Parts: sequence; structure tokens; C-alpha cells
Amino acid sequence: MDRFGKVLLLSVTAALVLGAAGLDAQRTVGIAMPTQSAQRWIQDGHYMKKILKERGYKVDLQYAEDNIDAQVAQIENMITKGDKVLVIAPVDDASLTNVLEKAHAAGLPVIAYDRLIRDSPWVDYYVTFDNYKVGVLQGGYIVDRLGLKGGTGPFTIELFAGSPDDNNAGFNFRGAISQLGPYIKNGKLVVRSGQTAFDKVAILRWDGATAQKRMDDILTSKYTDTRLDAVLSPYDGLSIGILSSLKSVGYGSKGKLMPIVTGQDAELASVKSILAGEQTQTVFKDTRTLARRAADMVDAIFSGRSAEVNDVRTYDNGKKVVPSYICEPVNVDAANYVDVLIKSGYYSAAQLGK
Amino acid sequence: MSAIVRLIKTNIRQYGMIMVLACLMLLFQALTQGIMFKPMNITNLILQNSYVLILAIGMLLCIVTGNIDLSVGSVSAFVGAVAAVMMVNFEMGVVPTILIALAIGAAVGAFLGLFIAFLRLPAFIVTLAGMLIFRGLTMVILKGQTKAPFAKSFQALAAGYLPGRDWNVDGLNVIAVAAGLAVSLILTFAILYSRRIRMRHHFEPVPIWIDVLKIAVVVAAVNLLTYELACYDGIPVVLVILTALILIYTFFTRRTIAGRHVYALGGNERAARLSGVKTNRVVFWVYVNMGVLAALAGLIVAGRLNAATPKAGVNFELDAISACYIGGASASGGIGTVIGTIVGGCVMAVLNNGMSIVGVSVDWQQTIKGLVLLLAVWFDVFTKSRPQPR
Repeated sequence: MDRFGKVLLLSVTAALVLGAAGLDAQRTVGIAMPTQSAQRWIQDGHYMKKILKERGYKVDLQYAEDNIDAQVAQIENMITKGDKVLVIAPVDDASLTNVLEKAHAAGLPVIAYDRLIRDSPWVDYYVTFDNYKVGVLQGGYIVDRLGLKGGTGPFTIELFAGSPDDNNAGFNFRGAISQLGPYIKNGKLVVRSGQTAFDKVAILRWDGATAQKRMDDILTSKYTDTRLDAVLSPYDGLSIGILSSLKSVGYGSKGKLMPIVTGQDAELASVKSILAGEQTQTVFKDTRTLARRAADMVDAIFSGRSAEVNDVRTYDNGKKVVPSYICEPVNVDAANYVDVLIKSGYYSAAQLGK
Repeated sequence: MSAIVRLIKTNIRQYGMIMVLACLMLLFQALTQGIMFKPMNITNLILQNSYVLILAIGMLLCIVTGNIDLSVGSVSAFVGAVAAVMMVNFEMGVVPTILIALAIGAAVGAFLGLFIAFLRLPAFIVTLAGMLIFRGLTMVILKGQTKAPFAKSFQALAAGYLPGRDWNVDGLNVIAVAAGLAVSLILTFAILYSRRIRMRHHFEPVPIWIDVLKIAVVVAAVNLLTYELACYDGIPVVLVILTALILIYTFFTRRTIAGRHVYALGGNERAARLSGVKTNRVVFWVYVNMGVLAALAGLIVAGRLNAATPKAGVNFELDAISACYIGGASASGGIGTVIGTIVGGCVMAVLNNGMSIVGVSVDWQQTIKGLVLLLAVWFDVFTKSRPQPR
């Protein structure tokens, strides 16, 4: 094979894989999502693409595999291509200041999707779930299930939080602590590891393996002679790691009950885990609602209206208070999953193996 | 005619890759319906890939000595983090920060080089350890959080343009056009000069039309680039840094004793040592050099994102290594050129950029880049193992 053969092969490979992508920038919406390694972002992207297409827009959806440079480059390329509106769920919420400057210079409005983009004045709207409320639901669920309001206890608990570089993780943790804090103070909830500060319990990049490792360490050092009653986990992906760790030391078998383990996002694997009696709870945030809200904002921008928002005070990104639309999260456990997940059409009964 | 055949044969690898690069750009120009060559996109290409090319230059020297450096991504992130702390927390000036950061890079390189050159530990393992150590220290320094923002003058290192941006004629930036013409003149002169030297030493010169063609291609390429840049915001600062590095390292590897020592050592370490090359010292300084370039890349990445993040620089080492191999460096050492590496890096860059514009997601991009790397190395081995017709 000679040089030209190689060129040919290369071109053919590239052309085959790329396909003939038609690019028409007229009414194209650029959507930058963080990663395809978590089910929720795939669904978010999928729904938004579907809804926007139904409304007659072209969609340029790109995932960055949690790589900051890749996302910055993708957004730059969207600007070059002439996309008209950007919907961005940032990989890192503080690393987009320069690229948003470019978007602004090119006259592109920016909608921050689920994660607020910090330190930039060029964020036009923000759409998210009430992340503080998610924490309140998780913390409140543990309080209810342990019956702490009725004066029971003391119980043992360990805390986990989301990624320290994700704005939402802080909101979420503060929400949970608003419920659990009083009982930790009065000794009805005991954190044997002693780790209660956000920076001690935060898990970088929401990584399940890291959470599993931390749970392993805590179980072997603090819980060889005592039962662990509850784990505050901010997200299903972490809960899965935490549950594996718990199972490895015998929880959930031979009469050793699983602790209460919370979660978030109602990922398929985790809902199945709830049905199997492992995970206890998750918080359902209907990504379709979020995607629809984002699409409404895109609509409003294209027709020159201002979009509907319901919070113009809370979400300060360091440069401005971003007008936001806040959607409501819902508790899910084994008792109500049929109503919330199946009847709403989010999952089919078959998907859950029922 | 024999001269042409010889010229092509001795430079097959380099010319071939340049042709691959040109074909790729044309392919994407078609696939993206004209976006590839938009002035804004050409500028983006440079801004998006400058740091990988800088790393690749340092990596080339490591690879030529028959070693490798897996730690550069982590070192970049580490230096970026230290610089961020110096500027954001201690409010140090931009210039001292840059100098200290480069010094830290040199120290890191010296630390790793010590183990590789003098304690004779395998570079693969030492730099693997370095990769873990400095990624860890990055997280320690940043406490898992992003540190931002930086002064405008620091951002200019990565995202700035040469002054005189509003000095335009017909929408073209005068400085960029002038730089293009100046560089064309210099290159033309250089090609003609080397022809004269060859004639003076009674080498058989290539036919004059080949040199004319060479000049035409180079001048066209340079002026196309500067014209594109002139249509947008002018010449990016990183391009100046990068060009300077390419010139310095091309000169270093071709014309200096130390540079030739690097190749001698990579070709045959025993022979080099017996000929009086202080091989240990050469390897040591190659890693110090890599440390400094990694630091420079780290500063540029931080400036570009206007933030230092714990995850900056992940997989940069792999991009840099790929650029070297695609550009014709040999895994067994002793072979590889700076220009080849830059061309290899540009192939990766155009692939990245083109696929991103067409809308290929990062997962597929990685797969394709992997295949390209495999092809390039396979081709390298294939052409070498085949008996060359004389």
C-alpha cells in the first residue's frame, strides 16, 4: 500500500464514519452536553433534540465526555458554524468565561442547562430543578424513615455530596443538611467518620467508584462493630458504588438489613435496585420537563420575546443574577414508583422488569 | 528525473503526511460545507491545539532518546494550578508568576529526569508515577475546585492577539498580512540559500523547478494562513510562541551539538556513550526541557479556559505522543523531526476540529483518532521492513 492508498483509506474511513452531515445554520440550536457516560445526559439530549425538532429547529447536539477542553472547542465550533442559540450544560461551571465572551461577540444567547455557568455576564437564562429541594427531599426522607421526629434514635449515618466543582452539589448538600443538621447536632444522628463538612464528603466528578472507595474505607475503619443505619447519597451513580461497598461487607444478606440509601435522577439501574430492596429512595427529576422548558426558552428567544421564568433572585453566578426557571423534583421509593415513573410514561413496566 | 525520485524517497514520510494533512483539510472543507477554512475556524484551530503542539515538541525529544513521558498532562495541570493559586490567592503579578511556573516545570522535569537518567529506572514507570503524583497534587492544591478568574494580560498568553488589532485595510489586519509577506520572504531566501550552499559544495542540486515549486507551495500556505488570520482578529499570541519554538527546536535538533547528541543517543546508546556523549546528562536535560514545555502548555491551557481545574490536561500526553508517531518518530528512538511532529499534530488537530464541526461526538472522535494512530504506526513499520529498492 502506498502513500495515496493510505490517504484514500483515511478519507474513506472518515467519510464513512462521519456520514454526510447537512449543515444549515438558519435556525440551528447548539446543545453542549457534558457526557454520554451517564444515562441522564443522554436522555436530556435526546428529549431536547426531539422537542426542538418537532418545533422546526435544527439541532446540533454534542457531548464532551467530561473533557473541559473538548467542550470549549465544541462551543467555539458551534459559534463558527453559525448556530443561533446555545444550550449548555457545562462540564466545569467556571471554565467557560472566555468562550461565552466569544458567543456574546457573535450575538448568541446562552441558556445554562441544569448546571449554572459561573463568572460570566453572558448567561441569558438558566433552567434547572430546585437542587436545594432535592437535598431537602433526600434529607427529609431519611428523617421520616428513621422516625426521628418521634424522638427515636440515636442512629448512625454517613454523608456523601456531589462534585465540588458543580454548583448544584452545594445547593443539594445544604438542602439535605437543613433536614439532617438538627439531629446531628442533638446526637440523634451520629456520623462516626466525623466527616460532615462539604469539602470532606464531596466526590469529584460524581464518580461512583470514588464513592465506593470512600464507603469501603469508612466501613472498615468505623463500622466493624456497629450497624450503619443510613447513607445520604446525592446521586444514583454514587448510590450504586455505595451499595456495592455495603454488600461487600454483608449488608442486605443474612438478616443484616441494608441501611437507608438515598439517590437522585431515577436512573434505570437504580430504580431496579429500589425494586430489589437495595437502594431505598431516589429523587425523580423529569428530564422531559427540563428539556421542554429549555425548548420554550429557545422559542422565546427566536421570536424575540423574553422567556418565562419563575425565579429572578436566587441564582447569582458571580457576575449577574441569572433569570431562572426552576422545576420541582419528586420523591420516589418502592411505594410510589408505579404512579410516578410508569404512569407518567417515563419508564415502561417492561423496562423495570415488571 | 533520478533527483526527483530520490527527493521523494528520502522525504516520503514527511511529504506524505503533509499531503494527508492537505487532503484531510479539503475533505472536511467539503463535509462541513466551507466552514473548515473560515477565518474564525482557522484561528480556532490554532487556539485549540497550540498547547498539544508545544507538548509534542518536548515529547519528540523524549521519544528520540528512546524514552517517553506520560506525566506531561498532569504536570501541565499542576503548574496551571500553582500559577492560579499564585495569582488568585497571593495576587502575584503575571510576569513573576509565569517565570516561577516555568521554573517549577523545570524542577519537576529535573525530579523525573533524575530517576530516569541517573538511577536508570524505566521512563515509562517513572513518568507513570509522575502522572499520578502531579494529578494528585493538582487536586490537593485546588481542593477539587476550579480557580478563576485571571488577569486579562495572563489570558492574552492563550487567547490574545498581537497588538494593532484595529489597524485594518479593507477589513484585513495589516500586521498579519505583513507578517505573512515577511515570513514568505525569509523562507524563499532560506530555500535559495541552502541551494547555493549545496552547489558550492558540489552536491548535485535538485532541478531548479523543484525548488521553485517548493517556494510556491510554502509561500502560498503561509500567506493563506496569514490572510485567514488577517480576516479575523489578527495573529494569535500563541502562534508567535509556537512559531518561535518550532524555529528554535528545528535549529537545535539539526544544527547544534547537543541536539545531535540526542539523536546519537537514541540511535545507539552504547555507541554514543563510547563516542564520548554524556548520555545520562543528555537524557536528564531532555526531561528538564520537557518539564518547562509542559509548564508553558499548562499556563496556556489555564489562560485559555481562564480557570485552573483539577481535570485540566487529562490525556494531553496521549495527544502529544500520537502527534510524534503520526509525524514519523520511531518508537525505537533516534528518528523524528520537529516539523514532522508539528505536521502530525496538525493532522490530529484537523481531525478533532473537523469531526467536532461535523458533529461527531467525542467518543467517536477518540475511536477514529485511535485508528489513525494505528494506521500511521503500521505504515511506518511497513515501509521500513520492506527492502528499499536502490
